[in-house]
Amino acid sequence: MDPGADLIRRMAAGDRQAFAPFYDRFAPLVYPLVLRIVRDRQDAADVLQDVFWEVWQGAHTYDPARGSPEAWIVMRARSRAIDRVRAVRRRSETFVAPLDDSVAQAPAGGGADAASLAADRETALARLPEPQREVIELAYAAGLTQTEIAERLKQPLGTVKSRIRLGLERLREAFGGAP
Amino acid sequence: MNRDHDAYETLASVYALGALDGDDLAEFEAHLARGCERCAATLSASEETIARLAAEGPRRTPPPEVRRALLQRLEATAPRRERAAGRSLWLPWMLGMAAAVIAAIWVTGGFIAARYEARLDRMTREAAEARERLRQEQDGLRAELQRYAGVIELLRDPATRVVTLRGAGAAPEAGARLVWNETRGGQLFVTNLPPAPEGKAYELWTITGGRPRAAGVFQTDASGKGTHAVEAAPGGKPVEVFAVTVEPAAGASSPTGPIVLASAK
Ligand SMILES: [Zn+2]
Repeated sequence: MDPGADLIRRMAAGDRQAFAPFYDRFAPLVYPLVLRIVRDRQDAADVLQDVFWEVWQGAHTYDPARGSPEAWIVMRARSRAIDRVRAVRRRSETFVAPLDDSVAQAPAGGGADAASLAADRETALARLPEPQREVIELAYAAGLTQTEIAERLKQPLGTVKSRIRLGLERLREAFGGAP
Repeated sequence: MNRDHDAYETLASVYALGALDGDDLAEFEAHLARGCERCAATLSASEETIARLAAEGPRRTPPPEVRRALLQRLEATAPRRERAAGRSLWLPWMLGMAAAVIAAIWVTGGFIAARYEARLDRMTREAAEARERLRQEQDGLRAELQRYAGVIELLRDPATRVVTLRGAGAAPEAGARLVWNETRGGQLFVTNLPPAPEGKAYELWTITGGRPRAAGVFQTDASGKGTHAVEAAPGGKPVEVFAVTVEPAAGASSPTGPIVLASAK
């Protein structure tokens, strides 16, 4: 059995000993994603705590037949981070502007994650054709919605949507097809 | 499912990235909730791709406080069965929402649960904000009601008169009525008086024997309306003239600014 899936199964059964190894295995994976989206260390720490607490409480909802533990935790973390950043943007009524420099630049604090995704030529994302890479990065790394991306790039919404789909399909092929 | 189904699969990709919004979001979630297997499969594949994207990105150890806080929280947790009992404290409508979430999970699979849970959380927060807003509105209405009750009470007194103030100077359109009782005070109602400039307020003066006496400051809202409770002048000498001037926000002890409202002598 996948070691991550096994830890989730143990947590679902109420085994508290499984939590720390689960955290140590997945927190370094999701922390950079969260930090990149919320762009604030304190917010990122809060989101991360929420996510892992929910994982502990909701471990029984994980179904290994439906996806990998990585996808499960990554989706939860991104969803929480996006919720957080959109709530903040709603409150401050500054819609796209605060994120304008978020894509090219590293999240606050720099460090190991300071290198832009695109700057690393080795990644599958960097090898995507530019129009697809651009929309995927805006959605994936900056947490923008399709409408925000369309406004930013001055492209029709339909174009943005189909570029996202095409980009994800190419990435999927690059990663070796069906999971 | 129909010839446009391809469009849903596009939406599934955007949805997996959390970038779907507006009508598309509602439409896609409704479609997914009807149990579309193809979209569920596309979504699932997209999610695996996104996880791979994350895996090829950088690793970074989070601040140690997060781990510490979580382990403490875990330590303080009662065993799972007792925790389940605590959930009965939820408000009834929350139970309704939870039922909707459970139904959604059951129909479409666990993968959209996270999103529903996040939304549930947001709805709870928004409900709390709405309650607070209602409470404030209620307080405001209650204060207004009390004010009107006070005015009606005052009007029952034969000694009460209603004084008209007319716009002057910079505010010719402005007007006001003052329900006034020499011994009990009164209430001023202002219309068409634009809000005072930044850092300024309107100040009411009661003038007796040619001498003005400060009778409080007030503001008007964006629609030019305002109201102000006025205390009776000490000594009980009848007020001859009421006037309103523009003054510093904290008020002045004698009028310094231009007159915007005045009663006829
Ligand atoms: Zn479908």
